[in-house]
Amino acid sequence: MSVQTLPILRVEGLIKRYGTLEVLRGVDLTVRRGEVVVIIGPSGSGKSSLLKCLNRLEEPSGGRIFLDDSEITGKHADLPRIRRKVGMVFQHFNLFPHMTAIENVMEGPRTVLGLGRAEAEASARDLLAKVSLADKAQASPAQLSGGQQQRVAIARALAMNPDVMLFDEVTSALDPELVGEVLTVMKRLADEGMTMLVVTHEMSFGRQVADRALMMDQGMIIEEGAPEQIFTQAQHERTRRFLRQLAWVAS
Amino acid sequence: MNYTWRFDVALQSLPQLLEGLGLTCLLTVLAMAIGLVVGLIIAVMRFSRWKAIRLPAYAFTEVFRTTPLLVQVIWVFTVLPLTVGITLSPFFSGLVALGLNVAAFMSEVYRAGISSVAAGQTHAAFALGMTRLQALRRIILPQAVLRMVPPMAAMWVALFKDTSILAAIGVAEMMTQARVLASETYRPMEIYTLVAVVYFLLTYPQSLAVNWLFSRFRVKE
Repeated sequence: MSVQTLPILRVEGLIKRYGTLEVLRGVDLTVRRGEVVVIIGPSGSGKSSLLKCLNRLEEPSGGRIFLDDSEITGKHADLPRIRRKVGMVFQHFNLFPHMTAIENVMEGPRTVLGLGRAEAEASARDLLAKVSLADKAQASPAQLSGGQQQRVAIARALAMNPDVMLFDEVTSALDPELVGEVLTVMKRLADEGMTMLVVTHEMSFGRQVADRALMMDQGMIIEEGAPEQIFTQAQHERTRRFLRQLAWVAS
Repeated sequence: MNYTWRFDVALQSLPQLLEGLGLTCLLTVLAMAIGLVVGLIIAVMRFSRWKAIRLPAYAFTEVFRTTPLLVQVIWVFTVLPLTVGITLSPFFSGLVALGLNVAAFMSEVYRAGISSVAAGQTHAAFALGMTRLQALRRIILPQAVLRMVPPMAAMWVALFKDTSILAAIGVAEMMTQARVLASETYRPMEIYTLVAVVYFLLTYPQSLAVNWLFSRFRVKE
């Protein structure tokens, strides 16, 4: 087995409950290094909860998660250490409003990794250039469009040099004309070999970029396969119905 | 009532009255400082994961918020020395009681400010690998602090007046000076009126400043 095909993330029987409501009902998932996985499914199907369990922003109620073969579930897991290796981008950007764009990108390396100012700033500049925002380094989040804010948020997550990136409906809160610039950055990232889990409704992105697509419904993965197959010849009626609703499957 | 007001007598005592003003100001500044520091510690304790830390902080806050300040002052001055065996001067007893009282209220100001910062900010901080304290210090408090300014200023104004309660244990602040003068001059009516006027003249501008702060720092979202 080459390094490329080694699993970086393994999820076994993941369960998440809020009180009596079971939002994840036994999810099994293995993600290989460098793989791009899109997760689709109706709202309330558990996609977001799954992502948030993977960096333990949500506490799993059952099951186990392994990152790079070490278990990250359980009481004694070192959460800050886990989260350093798992970057996350949110639907509503969540940039730090009291900092400029470049300070947002520098914040993780400075505070969490203890990097010096000069070093953190140099790499933050590179990352902002990578998301095509070199000229906005000194802008505050309020001065940026939604698409620009989201690209800063991607740069902020990348600054920690994570092994895996989680994207939680990152284009859902954007005006339609701003979606493209964010997807472009994500595609570039995928091309560079980043391991990515992407919860999205952007089917064209899934089709062009993803290695694999998962369909979730009612807290379970009900279907998975190559994106082309899922999007055009889904086996499961629930998947076909969902895709029809997204007006993707034409007839 | 056939009383001849003699404000000239009262005005002659003004310099001595104002001698107490220095201590009033000092007490306000020091009690506020204690309140700001201890209040923050209490507030952070109340966000702890562990009940053993949350509970004492909660008890502290509630005890100081639900008993009269005068009772707290007298308790620290008379009961505390007998139970713990430390004798404090009236000044330090009063300062401790006032400071802890402010801390209890201040912890609520901090708590409200911290809670007002959107949950997404904490998520973003955690997602970068920050610890709870790092997230609080770098992300949450800097955003919360602006919202805390007006209630803190309002507390300052209240505290400035409340220092007069320390007259009960003989701290030589302005109200104590007034009591001494009242008995020395046999003119309590004039002296107490004068001290009320002085408090008003000093507090009213501060109160206006607080109103200005409230309008200036109203959170727009």
